[in-house]
Amino acid sequence: MHEMSIAEGLLQAVLTAANQHGATRIERIELDVGQMRLIVPDAMQMAWQVITEGTIAAGSEIVVVEVPVTARCKKCGRQFAPQINEYICPDCGQADVDILTGDDIILKSVVCDSNEDAESGANNGAKAQ
Amino acid sequence: MKINVVKSVLDASDAMANVNRRRMDAAGLTCINMLSAPGSGKTTLLQKSLPMLPATARTAVLVGDLQTTRDAERLEHSAAQVVQINTGSGCHLSPSQVEQGLDSLDLSAIDFLFIENVGNMVCPAAFDLGEHRRAVLLSVPEGDDKVAKYPTLFQKADVILLTKIDLAELLEYNFDRVYDDLSKINTAAPVIRLSSKTGEGLEPWRDWITAQRAE
Repeated sequence: MHEMSIAEGLLQAVLTAANQHGATRIERIELDVGQMRLIVPDAMQMAWQVITEGTIAAGSEIVVVEVPVTARCKKCGRQFAPQINEYICPDCGQADVDILTGDDIILKSVVCDSNEDAESGANNGAKAQ
Repeated sequence: MKINVVKSVLDASDAMANVNRRRMDAAGLTCINMLSAPGSGKTTLLQKSLPMLPATARTAVLVGDLQTTRDAERLEHSAAQVVQINTGSGCHLSPSQVEQGLDSLDLSAIDFLFIENVGNMVCPAAFDLGEHRRAVLLSVPEGDDKVAKYPTLFQKADVILLTKIDLAELLEYNFDRVYDDLSKINTAAPVIRLSSKTGEGLEPWRDWITAQRAE
């Protein structure tokens, strides 16, 4: 259940972004989660529900997109897409890699109601208040 | 409206881990994070092996557990400094908890700092604490199938310790299965077979520890 500690960091990032845009309520956030981070989407949603209570993100939804692992072999430099339980380089047969993707958790976007909506037409998915 | 952010949620955690690492670098100490399931023998291994280090090697242990100071009490005669961190309900140590642990240690009097993480094969693997090396323990009674079941833990290991090997025969343990699984996940980390009970394999483990300062 390390989802709760991830949710704490996530809430800070979401509220910072929301404050910068004068948001009054957060509806949805989109999260890219690397496979190696061992996040269970349902547990993440539950942690988010608990941690956002009493904030402008209360009741918001998390959309989790799983990011597969890609790696570079430290021995021969070959880039490849390992399975989470198999990191064998297809060229040299070693399992000794630098992880390139799939080991991070990225907040991609925050969908919210905002006072800026009326002023700025530049935002995708803008919603009338 | 949709705000495009593209920011790592782990930035704050990783930044704190880097602060810890720089602080330990500045103090000239080497930090080894010990990860495993509960009951795999982390505390006993430290009890038995720390006194085997050269007398000039000053040691300290940060012990993470949900509750109790039992492990710290067990270690108080094995390391010069021991600090217990109780995580309450937390399933892993966080970089900020380690920072607080560092606050209560005399870093200038440490050559090797061991972090005994909360016993758990999933969550601790996902958090950099600022350590220089990761040691992952797998005890014989846990079964010879665990490497494939918890690949991320083993993929991120710098050394893998197969502990309680004195029980291998009794439990019909298949070492080849472990090595075969590791050959798919991590061929860089050395594997040391040891028993804290009989003392077998403790010297290679001690030598691995001391070699980490030579670099």
